[in-house]
Amino acid sequence: MSAVDLSRSEAGTWRASARAWWRTGDALPFLLLAPSVLLILAVIAYPMLTGFWYGFTDGSLLKYGRFVGLDNYVELITSRDFRHALWFSLVFAVFNVVGCYALGLGLALLLNQDVPGRPFFRVALLLPWIVPSIVSIVSWRWMMADERALFNQVIGLFGGSPVYFLSDQTWAVVMVIAIKIWRSFPFMMLSLLAALQSIDRSLYEAASLDGASRWNQFRFVTMPQLRNISIVLALLMTIWTVNDFDTPWLLTQGGPANATENLVLLAYRYTFGRNDVGLGSATSFVTLIILMILVVFLLRRQKER
Amino acid sequence: MKTSGNAPARGRAGLLASLAAALAIGLSPVAAYAADPVKLNFWDMIWGPPEYIDAAKELVAEFNKENPGIQVEYRSIPWNNWYQTYVTAISAGTAPDLSTGAGYQAVQLYDLGAIRPIDDLIEEMKTSGDLDDFLPGTVDTLRYDDHYVALPWGIDIRVWFYRKDMLDAAGLKVPTTWAELREAAKATTKDGKFGILASGDTGGSHFLYNAILNNGGGLFTEDRKLDLKSERNVEAFEALAGMVADGSVSPASTGYNSDDRRGAFNRGQGAFTLDGPGLISQAGDAADKIGVVPPLAGPHGDKGTIFWVNNIMVYEQTKHPEEVKTFLKWWSKNQTPLWTKGNTGQLPTRKSIAANDYFKQQASRGYVLENYVPIGKTTATHAAGIFPALNEVEGEGVMQTFAQELWQGKPLDQILDTADSRLKSIVKE
Repeated sequence: MSAVDLSRSEAGTWRASARAWWRTGDALPFLLLAPSVLLILAVIAYPMLTGFWYGFTDGSLLKYGRFVGLDNYVELITSRDFRHALWFSLVFAVFNVVGCYALGLGLALLLNQDVPGRPFFRVALLLPWIVPSIVSIVSWRWMMADERALFNQVIGLFGGSPVYFLSDQTWAVVMVIAIKIWRSFPFMMLSLLAALQSIDRSLYEAASLDGASRWNQFRFVTMPQLRNISIVLALLMTIWTVNDFDTPWLLTQGGPANATENLVLLAYRYTFGRNDVGLGSATSFVTLIILMILVVFLLRRQKER
Repeated sequence: MKTSGNAPARGRAGLLASLAAALAIGLSPVAAYAADPVKLNFWDMIWGPPEYIDAAKELVAEFNKENPGIQVEYRSIPWNNWYQTYVTAISAGTAPDLSTGAGYQAVQLYDLGAIRPIDDLIEEMKTSGDLDDFLPGTVDTLRYDDHYVALPWGIDIRVWFYRKDMLDAAGLKVPTTWAELREAAKATTKDGKFGILASGDTGGSHFLYNAILNNGGGLFTEDRKLDLKSERNVEAFEALAGMVADGSVSPASTGYNSDDRRGAFNRGQGAFTLDGPGLISQAGDAADKIGVVPPLAGPHGDKGTIFWVNNIMVYEQTKHPEEVKTFLKWWSKNQTPLWTKGNTGQLPTRKSIAANDYFKQQASRGYVLENYVPIGKTTATHAAGIFPALNEVEGEGVMQTFAQELWQGKPLDQILDTADSRLKSIVKE
């Protein structure tokens, strides 16, 4: 058999198996998935790969750069700005996750009880999550901007001296975290409330018969039942906090003296302020890698348990 | 096959007839096209309150009426993400024919081959004497790489303002030197009010530029090398640090943005601030209580402040450079309504517009035009003209951070070293 004949016979076989695949209906799921896959490739994979490539070039917003190898990553990792942004991102994420989890859980436990005005509180406590960030954060800003702002008037009523919340590094960090907690707790509360309501009541009855105190019921029944949802919530909140642009930008623009600049703000500054797309892309990718490591670690821990 | 003797001749005639018919058919759209007006896209940044856009649209409509062969389409561009707007349009091949833009936009885009120099237009204006109508230095500020990259139209400048009521209450005269400003700031700092209201945003960095340029300093040497730690600059920073040490600068300044600062100034929480010439007209009820400080003399007698020459640029992608030139010349000469009707916060670069009664009625703007504009200097000082790196120097936030740390009272030598090394890394020195 000649090479041409062989090729024809192979093509025939391929066509036949494709027809069979089509007839059996196995192709249908792939066809139905194709638009979504194409969309994901276009809006996620392509920009991501392009961004990854930019991290190895020295281009600006207007011109493609030359390939510079790992220069951008080396410059980034050795820069003080990056180390600070990484540290702040970590502090921001840890305090926000712990803070909004504690607050969300506390309120969820409260709203799970038969308290008066429960439907009203359930709705009212969702407001920080519903109000657009620009409205809420700018309002917070007005309340703490200077010596005549609301917070300082309250402090003045108790005889205290004005506190310049946005001018002092430590206070600015505290306020950025506090406002992020305020914006985040409703989501935690809502999710944990749903989880609390799905816990089997008989577990509490059994614990009660065994003489368990309310604290022990919380510790040995409630918390283990909330474990899986808690891990997922912590994971999501960590990602959202590390990627949060609105809170630090609208409140402090990353200041004072870069004290509240997280990795996202740093990537923005490098890309649009310095016009260095390579360094900005490298910053974004390092952020992504850190988040991916965290996600893998937490999911493994969840699986192990 | 047989053919008659004149067959070739008939064939040629037929061919000619066909060609004529084809030409007639083919050219008819061209003839129709020639009758259509040339369309130009003009993108204009929002340089003032909402009425500015209406005034600019009216002006474009007037041009279109006067020039039926050219039809300009006006598009208003918001400042949010302006850079991305232009970059995307240029990359996609949909850039406008001409646009107004931020101070350094023309040089930045020129460097990337997107801007068409207007040397021929400048030459024409020079010959006709029209160029003499521009305020000194404004046209040459836009000369880069031996080309004129844009035509100036507006000036943004920073000047010192004072609260008349606070100075009166303290029995003080309006300062005329930096030493007097410091004394006045110290004297007005009492009862929860402060002498100086600054900010920690881009507007905060303008205090630094103003101080160094006022003292005869500048960010660059003549050959465009960074010179942040020059003797005059350090002296200027020390003057500001001295006011912070006196307690005259509001501690809220670090966290203030320019809107916060203006609001506090209008409420009478501070005696002095540095802002654009439009501050008084936007101060509402407080307008009567605010005055413009005359240009201050530095310790060596120098005067100066920061200014930006905003401009109109032509894009390489235009297919109608001659028509663009016609519009640009017309717009530059006839743009007075942008002030009289549009209330733009800019100051005009043309003497003929500056002489309009509008600036006599708006006393503070007239004063700034007469007294501050002649001493205005760019961020590029002491280098000539402007150049692309200025955008990164101003945009990256180093001077912002420097200002924040200065208002916090941190040791000057320490923050100056940090700012210097960060600026050097930006300009790759």
